[in-house]
Amino acid sequence: MLTSEVKKLLVQIVGQENYKDSNEMRLVYSYDATPTFQSLPDAVISPRNKEEIQKILQLCNEQQIPIVPRGSGTNLCAGTCPTQGGIVLLFTHMDKILEIDEENLTATVQPGVITLDLINAVEERGLFYPPDPSSMKISTIGGNINENSGGLRGLKYGVTRDYVLGLEAVLPNGNIIRTGGKLAKDVAGYDLTRLFVGSEGTLGVVTEVLLKLVPMPETKSTMLVLYEDIDAAARSVSKIISNRIIPTTLEFLDKPTLEVVEDFAKIGLPTHANAVLLIEQDGPPEIVSRDMEKIAMVCREEQALSVEMAATEEEADALRTARRSALSALARMKPTTILEDATVPRSKISEMVRAINEIAAKYDLNICTFGHAGDGNLHPTCLTDARNEEEMERVEHAFAEIFDKAIALGGTITGEHGVGEMKSPYLEWKLGKEGVEAMKAIKQAFDPNNIMNPGKMFAKDSRKRVLV
Amino acid sequence: MANTQSLIEQLHRIVKDASRVIVDHESLVPFKSDYSSEGTTPLAVVFPITTKEASEILLLANQYKTPVFPRGRGTSLSGGPVPVVEGIIMDSTKWTSTLEIDPNNLIAVASPGVITADIDKAASKHGLMYPPDPSSLDIATIAGNVAENAGGPRGLKYGVTGDYVLGLEIVTPEGKVMKTGGKTMKNVTGYDLTGLITGSEGTLAVVSQVTLKLIPRPKETRTLSATFEDMTLAGNAVSAVLQNGLLPSKLEFIDQACIKAVEKFEPMDLPVFAEALLLAEVDGTGENVQKEIDEIALIFENFGGCVTVAKNETESNRLWKARKLVSPAIKALCSWKLSEDATVPVSQIPAMIKRLKTIGEKYNVPLVVFGHAGDGNLHPNLLLDKEDAGQLERAELAVKEIFQSALELGGTLSGEHGIGMLKSPFLKNEVGETGIDMMRRIKKAWDPNNILNPGKIFSADDNL
Repeated sequence: MLTSEVKKLLVQIVGQENYKDSNEMRLVYSYDATPTFQSLPDAVISPRNKEEIQKILQLCNEQQIPIVPRGSGTNLCAGTCPTQGGIVLLFTHMDKILEIDEENLTATVQPGVITLDLINAVEERGLFYPPDPSSMKISTIGGNINENSGGLRGLKYGVTRDYVLGLEAVLPNGNIIRTGGKLAKDVAGYDLTRLFVGSEGTLGVVTEVLLKLVPMPETKSTMLVLYEDIDAAARSVSKIISNRIIPTTLEFLDKPTLEVVEDFAKIGLPTHANAVLLIEQDGPPEIVSRDMEKIAMVCREEQALSVEMAATEEEADALRTARRSALSALARMKPTTILEDATVPRSKISEMVRAINEIAAKYDLNICTFGHAGDGNLHPTCLTDARNEEEMERVEHAFAEIFDKAIALGGTITGEHGVGEMKSPYLEWKLGKEGVEAMKAIKQAFDPNNIMNPGKMFAKDSRKRVLV
Repeated sequence: MANTQSLIEQLHRIVKDASRVIVDHESLVPFKSDYSSEGTTPLAVVFPITTKEASEILLLANQYKTPVFPRGRGTSLSGGPVPVVEGIIMDSTKWTSTLEIDPNNLIAVASPGVITADIDKAASKHGLMYPPDPSSLDIATIAGNVAENAGGPRGLKYGVTGDYVLGLEIVTPEGKVMKTGGKTMKNVTGYDLTGLITGSEGTLAVVSQVTLKLIPRPKETRTLSATFEDMTLAGNAVSAVLQNGLLPSKLEFIDQACIKAVEKFEPMDLPVFAEALLLAEVDGTGENVQKEIDEIALIFENFGGCVTVAKNETESNRLWKARKLVSPAIKALCSWKLSEDATVPVSQIPAMIKRLKTIGEKYNVPLVVFGHAGDGNLHPNLLLDKEDAGQLERAELAVKEIFQSALELGGTLSGEHGIGMLKSPFLKNEVGETGIDMMRRIKKAWDPNNILNPGKIFSADDNL
């Protein structure tokens, strides 16, 4: 609980209308898109500018009040769940695109800008901002930066980090730091930009972002490939890459996912196939058509049931939209949907898919798998019910085993969703004690009072590895 | 002294092979300097070849509170590996055991001492490419490139070293061994330590293994050159190429003074009356390469450029030879060359070129400019006379003004050479007190005894 004195000060900073602590508001901001995590904040605050954020952080630092910066709450690792109470910080007033610089190919934006709004704004100028997390319709750039979000185009274009040229952030002590610039190269001191991207709101509050844009690719082509054999689909992925082709998008959906997506989107997706690859390439027309031909050949060699090109952009867009809706579609099936994003080296995709299916069978669970196969970033999704304690226990075991397998294959526990509170007990599995200590030392150096998103990334205890 | 004696005994205990521990004064002297600056003679030079040795050396250094200066081939241009106080040089050049290409994952794994060019050569056998190509790539080590986040001409299209480092094995300043990142394309498991260590100039960790991303090798490259009678028009031509959505793999700039220097160094019929020479290389496949070359040629011509397109590889090599000879040619003109790499936003290239010209005239120092025009990374070089104290003083003021101009135009002190010891007094002007404070906190958290590469990035008055 905030004392009445603190509340008064906060109201003074942001104004009465931007300070909310009604039960309704607290309840609304007590959870994010991650199932099974819920905790009430003490207040929800919408600052109007960085000066207000500065004052809020100074006050919270003094009073040791937790601060949880939150975009649209679409994150999947309980990164924005206020598990230790305190203040949820919203960016609804800081949602402007400040500049699109066509000479230097950059965009300067506030953290509350919706990802898709930015994408549309730059595309109007013939430019391109590639990172496209599935939640881009509602997610904010600030959230994307904090989680270092990926997306469907990550295979060719990389993730959010690859497009962040500079940042402005308020540090826990209220100081404002500016990093980077409109520069292709910059090695002046430590790369604090990269340190901030993906830091999950644990180091400071991002207040302005300088993003890199690229020229819009000339054309784009989309293809849907059906398989009888899941393994063959996964093998095709590895083979396409080892044939030195890097498509823009190389997505995998298994049969259970296909069925629910079709039921949801109704665009005539083939539900008879056991696996589907959604493949896109962009660039100059000659290169696109040559790459697509080569990809089709590889897929046919791997006994694809059919290889079909989208005839129109509308058709292609329907396919992409269907893929993006996979999580929402799956979420309709059961009360609880737990989505993971274990990531493996590209060549290990088929091994990982096989392992997931074996683990699902072993624990008798309904796990659907889809994801960014080309990056080795899969999203095994468990349809379950949080009220069924016995099943939840099996779910937990299954996911622990999936993490373990991913690490054993040279992969990691999270490719794009972040550690948050959800995966914090597993951090040490991947990083070892030394790695976690090294990260904690940075956290401690930036935020000695641990007010920034406490409880995220670092767990009190690491989970014991019980697997044989 | 007794302490030094026992330290050296301990070093011998860790590194049994006597040829990998240098202690005699004469052999130590070359390790005082890099390509840019000179420090003090080190106590010893050790050449670890295993992570265990590196870790034990750092543990020992902490015990003796003796600084350790990691070093590759010493091609740094910012004083990065220079021992500013007495200490141990940890040289990675004998640590070359691993160089593996994983063609299925498009990845290379290398020991720290592997030469950068060797990685690209190994990759090319599999139709792959390791793009970062600092000018020193034939001698520089990969760990040195990682420490400095080295760039290169191909940076325009392909980015710099940091864009290709997927994972590292490192030894922390306190001797602990850890891995960051890995073989996956995506990884958000905790803070991006890989990104933090890359470009940290050997102040946060000793790199013991590097995992690098490779890309499919472009099938073809084509080169064109263009001469301009007016330097500003050349600058505008560069901006125009980029704003038209063209992305050549290289786009390099040489000014008149450099052209003249090269022509004097090795006559090859260069247009010594031109104010600027631009060189562009395009890569990709067949039709596209041709299309892009044509488009660039057209833009250059629109800005008054006189364009030559290389018809074959021999002709390309001949065009590039002029660029490659710039450094040796200007070095031959002076007893001391001061090489900077202030970098500005692409749109400010013409403005920066103009300012550099004014600065050279104002301080009456010979100033030539060449560099990676496409990414705003120019290399103004001051050609100085070691014996002329007055000129050296003026040069120092000129350098200050170059930094100031870069910052005023939204740029940085260093695009690819690093801060090292040379630029540390100016870092504050760019990143501010808060920036320095945060970097200092990270350094302190990881290296409480200030063992690793002291005197770099942070200047003495930053109170580390």
